[in-house]
Amino acid sequence: MDVLVGTLILGISVGSVYALAATGLVLTYKTSGVLNLGYGSLALLTTFIHWQLTAWGLPVGIAAALVILVIAPLIGVFLDSQLFRRIEGQPQVISVIATVGLFVLIQGIVRLAWGGRTELVPSLFPSASWTLPGGVSVGVDQIGVLVVAAGAAGSLGAMLRYSRTGVSFRAVVNNRPVAGLMAINTTFVSGLAWALSTSFAALTGILLTQGIFGGLLDPIFLPTFVIAFVLGAAVFGYLQSLPLAYLGGLALGIAQSLLIQYQPQIVDVIGLETWVARIRDGLPFITITVALLIAPRALRIRGLGSSFVVRTREALAPAPARVRTTVAAVVFGVLAIVPLLGSVSWSLTLATGMIFSVVFLSLVILTGYSGQISLGHTAFMGIAAFSAGHLATDLGWSSWLAMPVGALAAVPAGALIGFIAVRLHGLYLALLTLAFAFMAQQLFFEERGISGGEGGVPLPRPDGAGSETGFYYLVLAILIASSLLAVSLRTGRTGRVLAAMRDSEAACRSVGIAVTRYKVIIFGLSAFIAGLGGVLQSMILESANKLNFQPFFGLIYVTLAVLGGIFHVGGAIASGILFGIFPQAIDAFPFLGDIQFILFGLGSTLALAQNPEGLFGELRRAGNAALSLILRIRQRRSQPAPVTGGGR
Amino acid sequence: MSRLRAEEVTVQFGGLRAVGDATIEVSDGGFVGLIGPNGAGKTTLFNVMSGFLDPTGGRVVLDDKDITGMPASARAKLGIGRTFQKLELFGRMSVFENLMVAAEAGESKLDLASDLLSLPKRRREERRCAAIAAEMLAMLDLGWARDRRASDVPLGTARILELGRALCARPSVLLLDEPSSGLDAEETADFGKMLQRINRDLGIGIMIVEHDMDLVMEVCRRISVLDFGVMIAEGTPAEIVADPQVRAAYLGEVDDEAAPATP
Repeated sequence: MDVLVGTLILGISVGSVYALAATGLVLTYKTSGVLNLGYGSLALLTTFIHWQLTAWGLPVGIAAALVILVIAPLIGVFLDSQLFRRIEGQPQVISVIATVGLFVLIQGIVRLAWGGRTELVPSLFPSASWTLPGGVSVGVDQIGVLVVAAGAAGSLGAMLRYSRTGVSFRAVVNNRPVAGLMAINTTFVSGLAWALSTSFAALTGILLTQGIFGGLLDPIFLPTFVIAFVLGAAVFGYLQSLPLAYLGGLALGIAQSLLIQYQPQIVDVIGLETWVARIRDGLPFITITVALLIAPRALRIRGLGSSFVVRTREALAPAPARVRTTVAAVVFGVLAIVPLLGSVSWSLTLATGMIFSVVFLSLVILTGYSGQISLGHTAFMGIAAFSAGHLATDLGWSSWLAMPVGALAAVPAGALIGFIAVRLHGLYLALLTLAFAFMAQQLFFEERGISGGEGGVPLPRPDGAGSETGFYYLVLAILIASSLLAVSLRTGRTGRVLAAMRDSEAACRSVGIAVTRYKVIIFGLSAFIAGLGGVLQSMILESANKLNFQPFFGLIYVTLAVLGGIFHVGGAIASGILFGIFPQAIDAFPFLGDIQFILFGLGSTLALAQNPEGLFGELRRAGNAALSLILRIRQRRSQPAPVTGGGR
Repeated sequence: MSRLRAEEVTVQFGGLRAVGDATIEVSDGGFVGLIGPNGAGKTTLFNVMSGFLDPTGGRVVLDDKDITGMPASARAKLGIGRTFQKLELFGRMSVFENLMVAAEAGESKLDLASDLLSLPKRRREERRCAAIAAEMLAMLDLGWARDRRASDVPLGTARILELGRALCARPSVLLLDEPSSGLDAEETADFGKMLQRINRDLGIGIMIVEHDMDLVMEVCRRISVLDFGVMIAEGTPAEIVADPQVRAAYLGEVDDEAAPATP
């Protein structure tokens, strides 16, 4: 009994921190429409600043107050005015990706400033414990965490309910455009929301480091941990309700501490020791999945859905077929002769890049063509790679056969997500795919029998493509085949149907298009191509390793695919190759090593704010400008040109 | 003989009874109007008939075959076409492509392999569908807008395009949900003539939800009146105008059409 009470108190204490953090996340989502996946890294950054202040000799209480009340709000206001306000009105995929960029950026800053070491943060609360009536003993720090977290959330609630600012706030949360018309200063409100949210993130980081990690501040673990539990809690209220998000946080905290405390007993009863542990770790993602699958219909279909589909117009008309064929032929031609010119290491580097291109192509057909978002493609890649590995290693299949069959193994998983995508739209679908990637990793890829543990599952390169050069040509062939597939998907009837689905599913149904079937097929196909990418990626080191399929990479892939140009095959090819050769390129400039994350983060956030069509759109714009200039000069030479209203 | 028939359909949204025991039918080549005040449940009934919403009770029958619960896309294949009160165009595609998508959906089954490989069979099919779409462009006088983006055409054109898209899928019954909303008087009159031509020349049965009384009285041969989810009258336009219950429930509020109807 005492143990139970103690566990519950611990659960409520930790849960109220999750709750607080979830409130902060939902607050900015509702005021500015940005779901901040960088929330965890904001918590990390601010907690590191807190640690630095204490390391400089500031008393811990003053340091915390300074960070929470001054520094964090300033960071929040800065982010709002410099970044998030610029991407207001962009499709949500852009804003989600900007926050992934923010995540990477802050991670890079922390690495640069503090070297990526784990530090010990001094305790805010005295390390004593109280004995409650009934003999239950609780740590002062637990109570302290509980009081501070509940106090912060309580003051937010009171502010929203009773103050004049609170009324404007609620108006903006309910309907931002209308609130703007009502002469409410929405800029002020969104700035305030970001200030509060970042302040809550700081509080979350400091309290969690205290309450769960015993003062240890781990720059890798903390942000992922935070965002996992915060998303889990926020999805409890479907990103719509602050009180429900708060309750969700509490529930997650309690469930987590019960599972930790009673794990041995649970294992005694039902066995499956490893599974109980994994479910404990995967708790937030299981919550997200279940909550989304049982979401009320109105939320699933309308809710956040429509606005998340990529709404950007493809501003440029496609170039003439002849031009496109020529460009493609030149690009692939150059790629084909590279191994004859350069060193072996370069051809492997380029092959790595082309494999990324294949993965990005799978995202182009999914997101660019049909408007579905997946943040969880690493799951498909992993399923395919491990399947191929086991086929080759355990069953002795030739890698020529294991490769396509392994990729096929990812298709059912993709089709399943596609089936769910019929009922779940937009941001909710994106979150579900993210949760799917995490669950695939935590529940399956951590299983030794599946992933082969640290060493991975051996996956040899196919006979005849074993050498660096041979493998290079295999990759090139697959890249060309996937590009052709993507192009014919786009130009034919299927492409028209996908584009139509992107615009209006209801209209598709009304003319007899079975939307479900197409979603299942496009997700299945995308999973297959991603799976091929996963298999090829594993063949580089001749082993399928779980480290290659971390969910975080899935976020980076989407970011890069969008940066390259999510609507275009050419964008995927260009950004894949650039991403592949990037590490080797910066080896030439050692000082870049430290700031590469910062560059990537800054680049992605700022570039997207400027041009959602990505790098490829930019290139083509330049190409078009050059072309029209040439045409105009020619025209002027032959005859005085008639003025024909600007054109495109 | 009835083509499409909703029999004693009931739709319950939680505690709210949107439609109760409503029965309505379109005969082969018929022209039926469904009228009633805002929020009477007209669009809900349309959604039930076209498969966008499952009824709580009752059934939907097409040519004596029970199609209740059948998905919307399958019903479209059987010949039920519809338009939407709030325009649902493929906004980023051209006017021609909008028609093409529908023509292809009506023409053939999904066959990814022949699609991706662009087999000769597929190319022939594509030419046939392009011809259907081109014919529709000519019939509806949309030729001038052929390559415009659908989201860029004026509202009147967009309404006609939505109608044309529904026609390209080769329906035998059309459900039109307030096709004249947003059109001016002249456009509405033209639209009515076009509907009559479609009904007469192509033999397509039409059921129309409409607030413009002049249009309804002009084009419909039978009219049903829905009020608070209940059918309160059915008959020829003349009978409906004379019906005291209808006058009480509805005609007194005819000028109320500016308010948006609930979906």
